[in-house]
Amino acid sequence: MKEELRKQIEAARTAINAAERQHDLMQLKSQFLGKKSDLNGFMMRLKELPASERPAFGKIVNEAKQQLEELINSRLLKVKESEYAAVLQAEHLDLTMPGKRNIRGALHPITQTWREIEDLFIRLGFQVADGPDIEDEYHNFDALNTPADHPARDLSDTFYIEGDVLLRTHTSPVQIRTMEKFAPPIKIICPGRTYRNDNDATHSPCFHQVEALVVDEGINIADLRDMLNYFARELFGPEIAVRIRPHFFPFTEPSAEMDMVCPKCMGSGCSLCKDTGWLELGGAGIVDPNVFEYVGIDSEKYTGYAFGLGIDRIAMLRFGITDMRLLFNNDLRFLRQFK
Amino acid sequence: MKISYKWLRDYIDIDLDAKTLEEELTFSGIEVEAVEELGAILNQILVAEVKERQQHPNSDHLWICQVDNGNEVIQVICGADNCEAGKKVALAPVGTQMGEFVINKAKLRGEHSFGMLCSERELGISDNHDGIINLAGDCVNGEKLSRYYDLSDIVFEVEITPNRPDLLGITGIARDLSSLLHREFRLPNPELPAGTKPIRAELQLDNQAIDLCPRYTARMIKGVTIAESPDWLKRRITAIGLRPINNVVDVTNFVMFELGHPLHAFDYHLVEDHQIIIRRAGLGEKFVALNDEEYILADTDLVIADSKKAIALAGVIGAANSQIQSSTQDIIIEAANFKYSAVRRTSKRLAIFTDSAYRFERDLSDMQAELAGRRCCELILATAGGELLEGLLDSYPEPEEPVIVTIRPSRIKKVLSINISQETITNYLESLGLKQLSNGEDSLQFEVPHYRKDLSREIDLIEEIIRLYGYNNVETYFKPQKVMNYEIFRNKRNLTDSLVKLGFYEVVNWSFAGVEDLDKLRIVERDRRREVVSLKNPLGSSFAIMRPLLLPDILRNTAYNLNHNQKDFRFFELNKVFLQGAGKQAEEKYHLSGLITGLRDAIHWREEAVKTDFYDVKGVVEELLSLTGLSGIEEKYSKETWYQPGVGLDFYNQGKLVASAGKLDPKVASSFEIEVPCFVFDLYLDTIYNEKRKIVPDFREIVKFPPVLRDLSFLIDQRFDLAEIAADIRQSNPELISKIILFDEYKGKNVPSGKRSLTFSLTFSSINKTLNDKLISKEMDRIVRSLEKKYEIKMR
Ligand SMILES: [Zn+2]
Repeated sequence: MKEELRKQIEAARTAINAAERQHDLMQLKSQFLGKKSDLNGFMMRLKELPASERPAFGKIVNEAKQQLEELINSRLLKVKESEYAAVLQAEHLDLTMPGKRNIRGALHPITQTWREIEDLFIRLGFQVADGPDIEDEYHNFDALNTPADHPARDLSDTFYIEGDVLLRTHTSPVQIRTMEKFAPPIKIICPGRTYRNDNDATHSPCFHQVEALVVDEGINIADLRDMLNYFARELFGPEIAVRIRPHFFPFTEPSAEMDMVCPKCMGSGCSLCKDTGWLELGGAGIVDPNVFEYVGIDSEKYTGYAFGLGIDRIAMLRFGITDMRLLFNNDLRFLRQFK
Repeated sequence: MKISYKWLRDYIDIDLDAKTLEEELTFSGIEVEAVEELGAILNQILVAEVKERQQHPNSDHLWICQVDNGNEVIQVICGADNCEAGKKVALAPVGTQMGEFVINKAKLRGEHSFGMLCSERELGISDNHDGIINLAGDCVNGEKLSRYYDLSDIVFEVEITPNRPDLLGITGIARDLSSLLHREFRLPNPELPAGTKPIRAELQLDNQAIDLCPRYTARMIKGVTIAESPDWLKRRITAIGLRPINNVVDVTNFVMFELGHPLHAFDYHLVEDHQIIIRRAGLGEKFVALNDEEYILADTDLVIADSKKAIALAGVIGAANSQIQSSTQDIIIEAANFKYSAVRRTSKRLAIFTDSAYRFERDLSDMQAELAGRRCCELILATAGGELLEGLLDSYPEPEEPVIVTIRPSRIKKVLSINISQETITNYLESLGLKQLSNGEDSLQFEVPHYRKDLSREIDLIEEIIRLYGYNNVETYFKPQKVMNYEIFRNKRNLTDSLVKLGFYEVVNWSFAGVEDLDKLRIVERDRRREVVSLKNPLGSSFAIMRPLLLPDILRNTAYNLNHNQKDFRFFELNKVFLQGAGKQAEEKYHLSGLITGLRDAIHWREEAVKTDFYDVKGVVEELLSLTGLSGIEEKYSKETWYQPGVGLDFYNQGKLVASAGKLDPKVASSFEIEVPCFVFDLYLDTIYNEKRKIVPDFREIVKFPPVLRDLSFLIDQRFDLAEIAADIRQSNPELISKIILFDEYKGKNVPSGKRSLTFSLTFSSINKTLNDKLISKEMDRIVRSLEKKYEIKMR
């Protein structure tokens, strides 16, 4: 039996020293040291020996087990090291080769600007109102204090569908519809698509506008100027100043046009601002009491301001785009620049 | 803090039910955290009489009693020795709920028992558990025990905010309720007997730390008898969760919870040289507290000491060396006020958190100290006897000045938006104990009572007024209006943002189109989309109508870019389309349309370039629809005329068309001057937003049991669609099959023509058990058999 044991141990040693993979070593471990292993079998067979020899032989078996376990563990360390070295050898990479990226597109610069504007108003508690593109004369003109025979109607070249149905020339009808439906306090912006029968390098028959309307007790021209300043500074930077100068709109009284400091030359004059240092931004004013009459708001109790701006024009200013037609060409060489 | 309803009624007459009182408290700023009903058990316990008793044959410590419950004589086994025949006892009949246990019919060592005889502790009457309770002889058998023992009480656990230390006593709560409910409030204000000898002859007081101890009073009673407290006192303090100790200690606790002001009692004979010295502790001075712990003091700690040693850590805890013992005869009663910051510092540093420290660190009133001392003496004389010494020692060098606050009705209006008269203001504030000093045009002057240290400014009084007026009685006038549907607004942004992440560029086109666009898309005459809105004065014939579809513009953009050497790109547009409406109002609807052409991915050295196909555009639509929150989408082959026949798919939700996707028919493409394969999609956003959608996902518990994965591979005739096959597989056991993934389709070599090989990976999982192999194999067999029957599949 002793001889058998010696042979067993010798065979185990050889096998362990020859193992090259962690997996193989684990298998050897269970083969030689596990419950059903031959070494364990020797323990079972102890009773075949004379009683006097049993303790000594048992001790030998146990020592052999211990030695084999140590041998496996040390071999395991070596195997791990060589496997690690093999990984290092194999994964010799040229790390300067391009990484794997997902493709990504971009929102249109008009949409990017549109969102920017919505968000700066939403941050101040404005809600975004929506309304139809195809309007009627009442909401587009009459209720905005521009009756049928009013010369102001000539100011816009309107697309007509039939009868009094037309494509809205501004998003002001959304203001009217909102005031018809909701009582003050009202704090909305109406961004949207508007239409005028005009097509050249600086005019598009389809364009985008945003108007703001605030109606509450005690709203005044100071509130309007605060908001215009905030608006311009959020979009173009903290140095940008806004001025307003008298103008005429049928639906506001007093009415004004607003200019902001040219963001390119900061007021010193350049080609963009035609050396004036100012850029026209849009129209503004205090809501005309007549408009309130149309929508049934008490014009004694409430006052309001409104202003409107061109989103496309702001987008062009923000990105330095000079030709309006590029906005609607959808040329990838253009669109890719706004990633 | 716990408030006993019965105790509360000692100071104010109220008969509200527990629910109403809870609400009144909560809305006056005293939040009720829990309500507990005491003594309810006594309604279930009956008076009974032991008629006979004998030793249990199998036990030497059990008795078999025959008990008259007023109705019949029943057998009850009892373990107490004082259940002799003739005794009146408390019987818990079968079915009684005792805490978590129910009294059941039982067999104890072979003998039946129909109930339980109770001890005082089991009934919550006292801590006594030496035998069962013996009732007075005149108690009537069968009566409820609650007739003789009224322990019923309701205990409110309330949260007192740190600004209101005056509410840390039950009288404070009663006072607040009295102003809220317009009921009379009775504050104990006892007059003590004159006393015999003057206290000065027996005790000296030396306040060496006036900055930390603004007031210290001491009174003395000689010849008290330390004993158990009377029942009424025990009941009061146990109701709020305290353990009775002895009459003197119980009284100091009682007064602390009654008036909110902690007190301390010393054994006069353990105070060395009969001197009380208030001083800062020495650095490193050792102090053994009542809890037998030793603490090392710092020179910022304030101690009460005698000539030799500290006898209390001021306001925090007493010392073991001078506490009241059963042999105590003469006592000193301390009622003082300590600087809140010092008490807090000491309590935190030494981690000693007592009811006393809790109160002092909230800044108590100097005046209240004197009242508390007086009340304490009154109750000790009544419960422990003894003789009061004349007068008190009172160190109070700088009496508190009353605080005077002016309030303007105009300011009230500004802050609270309520109109109330000067008279109402006065009524409110006087009910809280403030005293009106004067009133002018727009100003009322009030003196604040000493116990309301939180009231020192106009705005503090305004807060009191609104508390009594009721926050919810303020008329509101601005109702936020929902002009915008923010949820849709956000969803549109999510859709376009994910398209950008999927590689799409957004295009923006004019809203005009020409009728020829519809012809090119082969849209038939009777199609709804032929009912277009025409312009009276268009820019030209290609701009004559308002576009009913976004697709023609996207195709034009595609042709333009193909002509400019772009090959691989993706476009989308989100905009309105227009059709004639019912009246003069046109129909305007938002659509989201897009196109894919060229390679699926950017060129990368590691991967083979792959051309886009139908499944790419379908994947985009699946992604978008899942973002909209629709579930239960059904797919049908599309009849839209711009798709290559057989390669267009419509997506329905509850029978409504919500999207379509497919390959652009090559002829249609040609008519837009496009000669490469294009895949397009169209989402009906307005229809989608009108559908019922999941805005917020429902959370489901994470399945704890590991899922089991099995593969399923078979040959099947090509005429069967995957959707149907997958549905049938799922249908075989919808509870168990949590996922079905198609991971391979194969046609060609080794597969007969007209057939295809499909391989699925099925995930089985159960929310309530571990799945074993046998069960899963049975399920797999069932699936295979049903597929064989319906589709004549061949397993691979
Ligand atoms: Zn400039």
